[in-house]
Amino acid sequence: MPSLRRFISHQNVSVRLLNFTNVMRVDIWLILNVLALAVIGWILMYSVARSASTVYLYRMILFFCSGVVVTIFFVSIDYRFLVNWAPLFYLGSIALLLVVLFFGTEAKGSERWINLGLFRLQPSEFSKIIMIFFLTWYLTKIGEKIRKLGWFVVTFLLVGIPMALILKQPNLGTAASLAPLVFAMLYVAGCRKVHLVLVLLLGSMLVPVLWLEMKDFDPSVEKETQTTLGLKHYQKKRIYAFLHPEYDYRGTGWHTYQSKITIGSGGISGKGYLRGTQTKLKYLPEHHTDFIFSLLAEEFGFVGGVMVIALFAIMLFRGLMFARDAYDMQGTLLAVGVVTVLAFHIFVNIAITTGLLPVTGIPLPFLSYGGSFYMTVMAGIGILLNVPLRKKEVEQQNMPTSIANVEVYRRKG
Amino acid sequence: MTDNREQERYPGIERRVQQIGFAIAAALLLLGVQLWRLQVLSLNEFSKLAESNRIWQKRLAADRGIIYARDGEVMADNRARVDVIIIPGECPADALDTVCERLETWLNVDRQELDKKITASAKLPFSQILVKRDISRVDQIRVEENQHLLPGVTTIVHPQRRYLLGETAGQIMGYLGEINQAELDQRQELGYFQGDLIGKGGIELFYESLLHGQDGYMLVTKYASGQPQLRTDKAGRPMIARRDTIGHLLNLEAPPVPARSGEALNLTLDIDLQRKCDALLQGEQGSIVVLDADTGAVLALASAPGYDPSVFVNRGATEERLALLSGQKPNRMTHRAFREVYPPGSVFKIMLAAAGLEENLINASTRFHCSGSYAIDGKGRRWNCWNRHGHGSLNVVESLAFSCDVFFYSLGRRLEVDRIVAYSKLMGLGVPTGIDIAGESAGLIPGREWKAAMHADKPAWEKQWYPGETVNLSIGQGSCTTTPLQVTVMMACIVNGGYRVQPFLRQEAGPKRSEKLFSDNTIKTVTEGLRMCVERKKPAPTGTGTRAYIDGMDIIGKTGTAQVASLSFLSKYKKTEDIPYPLRHHAWFTAGVLDRTPRIAVTVLIEHGHAGGSVAAPVARDVIEYFYNHAATKPSYTITAGN
Repeated sequence: MPSLRRFISHQNVSVRLLNFTNVMRVDIWLILNVLALAVIGWILMYSVARSASTVYLYRMILFFCSGVVVTIFFVSIDYRFLVNWAPLFYLGSIALLLVVLFFGTEAKGSERWINLGLFRLQPSEFSKIIMIFFLTWYLTKIGEKIRKLGWFVVTFLLVGIPMALILKQPNLGTAASLAPLVFAMLYVAGCRKVHLVLVLLLGSMLVPVLWLEMKDFDPSVEKETQTTLGLKHYQKKRIYAFLHPEYDYRGTGWHTYQSKITIGSGGISGKGYLRGTQTKLKYLPEHHTDFIFSLLAEEFGFVGGVMVIALFAIMLFRGLMFARDAYDMQGTLLAVGVVTVLAFHIFVNIAITTGLLPVTGIPLPFLSYGGSFYMTVMAGIGILLNVPLRKKEVEQQNMPTSIANVEVYRRKG
Repeated sequence: MTDNREQERYPGIERRVQQIGFAIAAALLLLGVQLWRLQVLSLNEFSKLAESNRIWQKRLAADRGIIYARDGEVMADNRARVDVIIIPGECPADALDTVCERLETWLNVDRQELDKKITASAKLPFSQILVKRDISRVDQIRVEENQHLLPGVTTIVHPQRRYLLGETAGQIMGYLGEINQAELDQRQELGYFQGDLIGKGGIELFYESLLHGQDGYMLVTKYASGQPQLRTDKAGRPMIARRDTIGHLLNLEAPPVPARSGEALNLTLDIDLQRKCDALLQGEQGSIVVLDADTGAVLALASAPGYDPSVFVNRGATEERLALLSGQKPNRMTHRAFREVYPPGSVFKIMLAAAGLEENLINASTRFHCSGSYAIDGKGRRWNCWNRHGHGSLNVVESLAFSCDVFFYSLGRRLEVDRIVAYSKLMGLGVPTGIDIAGESAGLIPGREWKAAMHADKPAWEKQWYPGETVNLSIGQGSCTTTPLQVTVMMACIVNGGYRVQPFLRQEAGPKRSEKLFSDNTIKTVTEGLRMCVERKKPAPTGTGTRAYIDGMDIIGKTGTAQVASLSFLSKYKKTEDIPYPLRHHAWFTAGVLDRTPRIAVTVLIEHGHAGGSVAAPVARDVIEYFYNHAATKPSYTITAGN
């Protein structure tokens, strides 16, 4: 384990571990983008308050404020430090996941939270960020060896352990979000495309297995059946309801059915702010969390929906720009990891609300109510903002002293 | 150092990052396309679904039209029925049990039934569950005063039909019942729904479309749980609240469309006369019809035994309702004046006499000899006159007065069956009179065509009409049946000078009458015969209907005694009292009053009364006497007097 002292001493440039002046130098466009999305989130929460509780709005503002602290932390810290310590975080997260499995608080049939009295912690959320750091550590550690099949496979084993633990909770959504993360990071780390294609082929072999499992599935029989994939009855029912929308639209298929009505009835310009009938009259459950996009699309219509998707797109592409222009491999990998996780959530969430994918609990960044995920997203934003700073920093170090000083003064002034 | 390698990036990494960007762009584009599909292409479909999700059409039931009698007396109106309902969703879960317990003790509700209903609607906690229908005023006050002890329990008010006269004119009113599938299919476009009440007989059925009115509605927004944004005002009527239960302001969907009450019906019935007729029929089975002979307005239409139509609208009266519908004898549901048919017997002779005179087959002085029996062409089977000793030689006037059978056997043979059938229908016998009430029977005057149709699959000799059947028909026996109302219409035709009237109950439905059917001469001769029938002439012989005679009043009449069983079968009984009730003859008497305003035609039928002259005629006399002494003096008759 690299010690703090060693970490600082072996740098060829002297940097502080936490440099809060970083905050002054972050990319203003991404900040504005994030602010816009956060404000939209509050606007939507105010609309939610019309049919539910105002608490969601206040908490949402609170989440953002605490999220800003998290972001400042991740902006100020030297990410190389976090990457170097990632294996420790990795082991810690596995330990936490085990704690959840044995002592977790149950919610809606799955154990996901650790009750800390003041608030409940959802360790699987933080495992997303930890996995980004851990994979960055691993991939930069092995470097070009990633082109060898052995090291390539080891990546999947390392990701597989926490993934299996999260699946066991069961939390299909979070576990699934790790998959594109691995793929994207491996791809950017420079693995062989053949290997990736092979894995994808292997993965696609799941489809016939899944088909075999769903073939004889009868949703009316309430029985847990032993299967190769270990799918729970309720999960199968959701898949079944997705494949057969007419089945039990009052029960399992209700969310998708009502969500499509909610979005579809919004039309081009929407029903108007606070005038969404579907969400106000509580036809759409969970419209403050996973189905917040439906509320947006109902009240602000196609225009509002596309605008928010565009805001997300700008955020993601800005992140990818940072990844492309990053100073080092670690920065690139971190930025790609964050962008992938965010993109996965955005895409899957909206795909679920619009009926493209079966229902599973995936929140929408900035808009869905939920504290742990908000922290994760804000941490990710912090990492994204941090990545280009490293380059500026190094460029500054390499500058002649006078210019560097001028630069510093200019920043301070 | 490792540091260096960590920072190094391999060439081409930018392209890989870019490719990830393409993948993300493609995914987001897919979302945009799906959003376009849902919000732009399928907008209408989803809008409709969203509307049907939330909009709930609350019906505002229309009051049924009020039915008035001639003098403005209310026969049927609507009262407010108070029901107790519970909305489980508005009752705290832990209090539900206590509330049910209180309802059980206070309202005497079946607890298990209530629990079952509440469990059944567990998925829609805001549905209204009926606790008890039609509670008393005391119970209503108890529930409303203790509102704080009964969360979720409310009283609601519905309009409920009320028949104020009980059995009087009950069968004319008909009754209301839940609409059945066939009726629903027929009337769906008129705004009927499952569970609606609809007229099932009598006036209620005939004037259903008039009485029903038009339901109003208002559009109410409802929550996913089914809870409407609706409150009831103090009178129990639904109203849209400005704020919902959480206190949020509501947008009213649209102003409510008020219900249009059914139209009021003014009947021609004279309730006092109707009551009098009911009283006269007390203990008998039979009917009395009183028509305004000139217009056809029905003044009384009594039938005994009757029933109280309230039995069908008040839920309490289940057993009585079942008893009525079980069809046990005597049938109380059937109105005997227009629904039941009887052989007309001798009252049929009025028609025969008029037909014979009009066809010039006989005139006032044509005489036939009655030896006490009749045989076709003087040989073969003999048909007896009721007077076995014979009436001797008599003309048509005397024949009507003494009701000589043999005279009419001969006249019938001269008329032949086809003309008998034609004149019957002309005078309204064996055809529906067209009265504005549901369930009228046509009766039957048998003829050649009827017999051929009846025996269509039989050999020719069975289809053929035989002269003997004409003889039977001539005195209103055989297969011949009519209703008392038809007989009254026939009598009215004689009274009003030869016009056939269409009887009517709603004041606006008449008067309608035919062209003059008979010459004055015919009418004069028949009237003379019928007058002689009633007149207490001295010295004897007197007519068969003298018991209907009122001094100083020009009353015409005709008795009828319709056989139920053959006379030869009955001959084994020595006395009338020995004959079993169902085998006794029906007693008819039809009468008319000529010298008063309004002129009326009255028919009395007493089932199994056995003798028209002695049983039915005095009843007719009482009706006429009562009518001119009491009813006709009322102002309501001055209106029709001009007609």
